[in-house]
Amino acid sequence: MVLKINGKEHQVTADPQMPLLWVLRDLLNMTGTKYGCGVAACGACTVHVDGQPTRSCLYPVSSAEGKEIVTIEGIAGEDLSAVQKAWIDHQVPQCGYCQSGMILAVEALLHENPEPTDEDIDQKITNICRCGTYQRARAAIKTAAKYRMESLETTTDQADQS
Amino acid sequence: MKRRGFIITGGIVGGGLLVGVGGLTYMNKRIVKYSGLGMGEGESLNAFVRIAADNTVTLAISKTEMGQGVYTALPMLIAEELEVEMDQIRVVHPQPEGPYANLFMAEEKPRAIDGKLTMMQKVFAFIPNIITGGSTSVRDAYDHLRVVGAMAREMLLAAAAKRWGVSTAQCYADTGFVINRDNQEKFSYGELASEAAQQKAPKNPPLKDRSEFRLVGKAINRLDVPEKVNGSAIFGLDVRPDNLKYGVIKHPSQVGGTITSVDNKSEIEGMPGIAGVVQIEEGVVVVGETTWHARQAADRLKVQEDNPVPVDAIKTLTASLSGEPSKIWEDQGNITTVLDESEQIIEASYEVPYLAHACMEPLNCTVLVDGERAECWTGNQSSTFILNGVSEGAGIAKDNIICHTTYLGGGFGRRGETDFVLKAAKVAKEFPGVPIQLVYTREEDMRNDFYRPAVVANLKAGLGKGEVNGWKKKVATQGALAGLLGRNVPMMPMKNEDDPSSTEGLRNLPYKMTAAYTDLTTMDLPMRVGTWRSVGHSQNAFFAESFMDECAHAINRDPYELRREMLADAPRFRAVLDKLAEISNWSQPLAEGQFRGMALHESFGSIVGEVAEISLHGKNIKLERVYCVIDCGRTVNPGIIETQMQSGIVYGLTAALYGAVHVKEGKIVQNNFPNYQMVKMNTMPEIITHIMEVDEYPGGVGEPGTPPIAPALTNAIFAGSGTRIRSLPLSRHGYKFV
Repeated sequence: MVLKINGKEHQVTADPQMPLLWVLRDLLNMTGTKYGCGVAACGACTVHVDGQPTRSCLYPVSSAEGKEIVTIEGIAGEDLSAVQKAWIDHQVPQCGYCQSGMILAVEALLHENPEPTDEDIDQKITNICRCGTYQRARAAIKTAAKYRMESLETTTDQADQS
Repeated sequence: MKRRGFIITGGIVGGGLLVGVGGLTYMNKRIVKYSGLGMGEGESLNAFVRIAADNTVTLAISKTEMGQGVYTALPMLIAEELEVEMDQIRVVHPQPEGPYANLFMAEEKPRAIDGKLTMMQKVFAFIPNIITGGSTSVRDAYDHLRVVGAMAREMLLAAAAKRWGVSTAQCYADTGFVINRDNQEKFSYGELASEAAQQKAPKNPPLKDRSEFRLVGKAINRLDVPEKVNGSAIFGLDVRPDNLKYGVIKHPSQVGGTITSVDNKSEIEGMPGIAGVVQIEEGVVVVGETTWHARQAADRLKVQEDNPVPVDAIKTLTASLSGEPSKIWEDQGNITTVLDESEQIIEASYEVPYLAHACMEPLNCTVLVDGERAECWTGNQSSTFILNGVSEGAGIAKDNIICHTTYLGGGFGRRGETDFVLKAAKVAKEFPGVPIQLVYTREEDMRNDFYRPAVVANLKAGLGKGEVNGWKKKVATQGALAGLLGRNVPMMPMKNEDDPSSTEGLRNLPYKMTAAYTDLTTMDLPMRVGTWRSVGHSQNAFFAESFMDECAHAINRDPYELRREMLADAPRFRAVLDKLAEISNWSQPLAEGQFRGMALHESFGSIVGEVAEISLHGKNIKLERVYCVIDCGRTVNPGIIETQMQSGIVYGLTAALYGAVHVKEGKIVQNNFPNYQMVKMNTMPEIITHIMEVDEYPGGVGEPGTPPIAPALTNAIFAGSGTRIRSLPLSRHGYKFV
């Protein structure tokens, strides 16, 4: 089958039931997406499928066929994304293992809800971080939201001028 | 690259005393010898510093990065004296060799600044004792790595001075260059590296005064963050050597059990994508083309098992407390007389359950056995133990093994064990030339831990008018450190009763009393126990600081005022406590329905005080905020200290709210996050941290944040409801967290 990952097509031979996580990690060697629990409880394996945050450890690869898959490796172009920048500003990661999934979940949240409240964050960001980076992650989400709004304004300004 | 050399750090082989004595000469050579393997291009100026022509500085950092920030804090110490910028630095983890040993662990003190080692430190270097644990990284490195940086700097200065034909005093070092004071001519470190490497290492290089520090003491950005936000950081599970196959292990289903045979080996081996089934002493491993193939097949294994009769640990421990103790650990004043003569006696029994580490990255190890050689890739807390594990499991001589230490997706003490390495090596031996990545699924990881022991305690206090006269403390448990050492350092076995971790943080408390007594009763139980973030402090702070709160209420004293009074002879403790009362506005009332509790505890050379503020409605708890004050002496990176306090508190909170590993009919019940819950974003309190400015040798920061949070929280619950929580977790008492 053909999978479209981070804008690039990959030819893959896999059992249709094989979870996307293991296709990414063990067949394509894209190891940024992590295995944490295998039961969609921790969120370390979060990727985007057609823009939706998806826990890839229980998501059969056959369901991903023909859809746009985005992983941590493809979340940004040459520059970092607003979320990644905010993550660096706030020095969020500790061991770092859950952070790919956390960042992908936050990207999806901000896409859907550009100015999330604390309650929105509590409800939507359910990833487990054993190092307890939540406090800095929350602050970084707010900074990322600001960066996104600013760049949106800049883009609108440029559009107005042209 | 070419230079495989020796470094003489300070006075290690100085003093003619040792020269010519065969064994000791060998010992001294081994202490200083290093291979520089994996350090890339450039010239080594010593075991820790290699400089490439393009001015890249590669540092060998022998403590492993598990989130606690050592790949930033330790390079800062070297960079401070070496006079390089943090963005010039590349960090690698060296092979387990003498110069990299953790010598703080030898005698709970740093090596002398002149490099002279005590006999015990030499033994630890000889082993070599490469361990990341016990919150010792900065304590081991604070002086030593600054000396290492200064030695390399002096060699670069000497090389430049020689080129210019001037004295070294004419030259100074700045951001990777040596500059001639007279004419401001300069050479980059890269240009000087090979000549500098020929210079003699100075014995006592000058060190900066603290006031001159430009890096140490500042919240410098972590070096590992960029690769942790773009997915490129490599953890053990991410290594992908050519022709890699994946192994998934099935352990015996019961504690202490054995898998005796596999019923359907040929059926499993016939499944698609399966390369083989290997039965080892510890279980059965299915090897396949992907982790998923191996796991699917492992789930279908049918096995025969031999299981022991299950034991109820808490019942056994509780019963043991009424017998004779195994060892008396503290006996100051006359506790019997003091209790007899006290106006009021209070007595309380406490207990805590087994806890799993549950690192985010499930345990794993990749091993390649190729003829007489082996390579190993894994995140670990001790490459010494890793080397032992590969050697034993694969039957390969240690000199022929290369260890690649990756980032750790959490450690918390779990990755100081060797079980996952030993098993990987045993399997890899059956697949010569093929690297095998052995993976514990989350379920196997959680059910095959070396758990924080279950512990029961009985505490008795003799109270007078407004004062505490004495405490009698009795503890029963297994022995976390004894477990770890017995498995991994069999030549230095420790009896359970001699395990200092079982009573650490309960004996010899800073509170002034007329008498204090602590004894320990140890039991051999089937559950395997080990070191879990903050080890004995994790439960002993809960016992001691809850009981202190009980005493305060029994004599109608404010818990802060009583502690303060009893800390008259412990000024650093008192200063932390006062600062805590100040930032938490302890004397001011809280809003309706909100309550607070306090705890203070020393561990790993640092003193931490915490106040938990909660809203309490029946059994619904909302964690509003936690105030945290730490005295860890001189700081290296306050930003990292703050995050370690947050991290330690979340780890302790998770245990206080939800943490319990139960055994039912011999089987461990908890096997994944749905039944071993974690604090998440929605239960996370705001944490306000204050770091004291104290000009003393540094203390640890990785663990000390954990112990005080459970008692601070349960003391708050008492303040709000009059209900005293004497066993954890809180969920067991019906509390819900909103």
